Amino acid sequence: MATTATAQQTKWWSGGKSPFNIEYGKLMMWYFLMSDAFTFGAFLISYGTIRFSQNFWPDPNAVFNAFPGAGHANLPLAFVSVMTFILIISSVTMVLAVHAGHNGDKKGVIKWLAWTIVGGIAFLSCQAWEWHHLITGAHATLIDGKIEWVGQTTRVNPWGQLVHGEALTTALNNSTVESLARIVHEQHGNTMTEAQLLGLPKDQLTGMINTAELHVRQNGPVAFGGYFYGITGFHGFHVFSGVVINIIMLIMTQKGVFERRGHYLMIEKAGLYWHFVDLVWVFVFLCFYLI
Amino acid sequence: MSEALHIHHDTAVSHDVHHSGDHGHHHQSFISKYVFSMDHKTIAKQFLITGIIWAIIGGLFSVLFRLQLGFPGQSFPILETFFGHWAKGGTIQPEFYYALVTMHGTVLVFFVLTAGLSGTFSNFLIPLQVGARDMASPFLNMLSYWFFFLASVIMIASMFLQTGPASGGWTMYPPLSALGQANDGSKLGADFWLIGMALFIVSQLMAGLNYISTILNMRTKGMSMTRMPLTIWALFFTAVLGVLSFPVLLSGAILLLFDRNIGTSFFLSDIVVNGEVLPNEGGSAILYQHLFWFLGHPEVYIILLPAMGMVSEILSINSRKPIFGYMAMLGSLFAICILAFLVWAHHMFVTGLNPFLGSVFVLLTLLIAVPSAIKVFNWLTTLWRGNIRFTPAMLFAIGFVSLFISGGLTGIFLGNSTIDIHLHDTMFVVAHFHIVMGVASMFGMFAGIYHWFPKMFGRYLNNTLAYFHFWVTLVGAYLIFWPMHYEGLAGMPRRYLDKSIWVSFNQFGSLDQMITIVTVIVFAVQLMFVFNFFYSIFKGRKVTTANPWGATTLEWTTPIRPGHGNWTGEIPEVHRWPYDYGKDGRDFIPQTEPIGANESKH
Amino acid sequence: MEHQSASSEITFQHHVSDAEFSKKVKRTTILLSVITVIELAIGLIIYTIHKGPDPNAYLVLAFKGVVCILTLAKAYYIVSVFMHLGDEIRNMIMTIVVPLMLFIWFILAFIIDGNSYKNLRNTYDKHFQETTTPVHHVEEKKAEEPKPGKQ
Repeated sequence: MATTATAQQTKWWSGGKSPFNIEYGKLMMWYFLMSDAFTFGAFLISYGTIRFSQNFWPDPNAVFNAFPGAGHANLPLAFVSVMTFILIISSVTMVLAVHAGHNGDKKGVIKWLAWTIVGGIAFLSCQAWEWHHLITGAHATLIDGKIEWVGQTTRVNPWGQLVHGEALTTALNNSTVESLARIVHEQHGNTMTEAQLLGLPKDQLTGMINTAELHVRQNGPVAFGGYFYGITGFHGFHVFSGVVINIIMLIMTQKGVFERRGHYLMIEKAGLYWHFVDLVWVFVFLCFYLI
Repeated sequence: MSEALHIHHDTAVSHDVHHSGDHGHHHQSFISKYVFSMDHKTIAKQFLITGIIWAIIGGLFSVLFRLQLGFPGQSFPILETFFGHWAKGGTIQPEFYYALVTMHGTVLVFFVLTAGLSGTFSNFLIPLQVGARDMASPFLNMLSYWFFFLASVIMIASMFLQTGPASGGWTMYPPLSALGQANDGSKLGADFWLIGMALFIVSQLMAGLNYISTILNMRTKGMSMTRMPLTIWALFFTAVLGVLSFPVLLSGAILLLFDRNIGTSFFLSDIVVNGEVLPNEGGSAILYQHLFWFLGHPEVYIILLPAMGMVSEILSINSRKPIFGYMAMLGSLFAICILAFLVWAHHMFVTGLNPFLGSVFVLLTLLIAVPSAIKVFNWLTTLWRGNIRFTPAMLFAIGFVSLFISGGLTGIFLGNSTIDIHLHDTMFVVAHFHIVMGVASMFGMFAGIYHWFPKMFGRYLNNTLAYFHFWVTLVGAYLIFWPMHYEGLAGMPRRYLDKSIWVSFNQFGSLDQMITIVTVIVFAVQLMFVFNFFYSIFKGRKVTTANPWGATTLEWTTPIRPGHGNWTGEIPEVHRWPYDYGKDGRDFIPQTEPIGANESKH
Repeated sequence: MEHQSASSEITFQHHVSDAEFSKKVKRTTILLSVITVIELAIGLIIYTIHKGPDPNAYLVLAFKGVVCILTLAKAYYIVSVFMHLGDEIRNMIMTIVVPLMLFIWFILAFIIDGNSYKNLRNTYDKHFQETTTPVHHVEEKKAEEPKPGKQ
């Protein structure tokens, strides 16, 4: 109890010492993270602003419903939850690395740091797959009165409102043989190759299309793609730089730099950065996938 | 908790490595001493000299476009000699005019009054006045200058592009700035502008983080927060503003770069250029303005607060009186710092902003008048019955107060959205912000330079030239900007190349000529100051006493030409606040002097 | 030079016992996982509501509000436990938390103005309104973003 009392009497602000009992590097890291929070905040708030200025916004559950190896199965939120867990677990391993550093346990630091790096790389791989899937996965979209097959890019958005009834019939009539052949191919699976279908006349193709099962959407708000790639890309860039920082830390630990220094404060600072990356993901996850 | 007080010698060592001080630095090569220096004083001088070069460029631009405004259409053949097709036949071409206006704003706001002002004085004064051997991280400090330098190189390079530098206004509003088809400056110049600004922001972040952690962590023994000079407080809040608001501009700049180069639609929607319908859809140009002004308004205070801080100190020193209302000064700085973040949309009253939201912004904006008034009254009461010494620094400090009052009052007009409907985008706005932010901050900067020049270079600036500089600049500033209020009230728009087509504005023709002539004179006098500056570095009168102004603060306890590490022996301990002037029959009592037994309280 | 304590900073770590530490980390990890699972469940509930014949905008909004609060809780645990902010001196915590309050007005003003921009366009740009307003077919999904009290 006596020590607590002296601690309370410490004049933290009287100069000659850190008022927060923190060395300057960690303080700078904290304030850097705060300013970075404003960068991300500005991005996410811009996204919200645009979303509020639109009458229609794509349903994330319709956009993010794919899973590697699961083909066309409709699995909303499945893949992103894997990504989220990867990041949470890598955050936990980072906490353990920092703790090992506090105890001066070099082996522990190396072990947990290595796992954190693995987690980071796994997350980046997932993101790469997701981007690739969104960009290359083509969807029948109504653009300028015609049905075209497009992926999610920064210029088009295949997740607009569903087209049906008369509008759909007109759109089918306006569309090219290529687009129609692709629709038939997607609907009937492997009975005929697309090349064979391309040889058929347009009327026959139109007749083969089951309009009740056909999901054609309008070109949705293009800002969706820009924000999605922009913000997850900026976050991915942070993950990437976090991985690089962690690798540097790993090499420095391996070489015994921190051991000679007598403390593992650098690991702590790298850890703060890594947790911040996780923290940002929590909000990216909220804004893009949940609401 | 006993570990809490355990002193980590290791960090202390790693700090003192650079501080091996006066013994070490003659081993340094020219490069590590003057170019990639990690001494905060050298970095400050680098910022100052780069800032001066930028100020000459930015000032020259204003002279050029004032020629167009004062003498529209008139030919000045010499311009064609220098600027070629930009001034065909000696008349300033429209593209050139807009490039000049844009770069004048960018250069003065960011490169001179942000980097040149807070960069110089934060670097120079923070370690000296809080009693530290250097910044918390000298390395990051050096990087921050070199990022600034890189940003400068890119911005300069943009002026030599075939299509010219960015010319969509210093605010770079899209869609104008986003579409190369829209004007020449929005071709490559805008990309250079955005990349240059991104680097500038990185530089400011590194600098700001350093300032904050130095002020918090590196204060000498006894230097509690309320014993810090107001300069340090002002620089502290400046750094806080920068660290929290620059990232938002970074976001805006990144999004704008995407809009320009990879076809996104963050800020673009429903646009037809030259008969071509653009595919961009769904973006909002107002969003960019929000992002820009979320930085842009704090930026005004990033520019103004360092000047306020230095002026407070210089007024007190040269009145030989304590600053009036130290805590009130501090509180008002804090209030300004917070309000700075809440009022950004008052720049956007007529852009299509929700009028109800606008009214909230009016309320918050007018609240700024309260802390501003507190500061003004405290400066005036500091002067009141003081034993005033009219040194050049003091004159510029008083000039700052005068300009801050005149410019601040017109801010109340503009802060009202209803009056702003009439006044927005007129010369009234130009007059307002130049007086309150531009010229006032320049005066703060001049005051700081005249006051701390002896500490920087161990010599004085020439006094005669200094007085001449002051009076011409003060009178010139009012002659230039006061008439603009009348022009603006009459409805004369800003940014226009040629207003002679409006018969109603022809009555201002000779007034505009007068403004232009005064501009040329004032600019010439600034060149004289630059001459004084560089001449005095080498040939000025030498400083012979450690404390030439009789000031209380710590920087005057260092040697006349402090080496790397600032103090030769131990860092002095601080025992009192920095404003013990004219106390108990003594002219001043340095901060390092312990409180005497029978001393009166302040 | 001199190793005077005046210019050096104090560094310290809270040396918590290993057992206590691993208990705390384990608890936080489980907590974060549980919150995430709840969030995912709510996400799926929102999805089913959307798919249903007559999606209730207010119900969706309420669920979204719950998710936002859960996310803030997650952020709190990450910052406070993983980043050890909870173990710092109170003043330090304040210097981090207080500036974040700026986000309140930052978010509010931006979002309100975004919404106002939509209303302006719906009023003055009929084409925008007609082409983008969700059409309410029975078999079709409703607009994803509910706007209670507006329009």
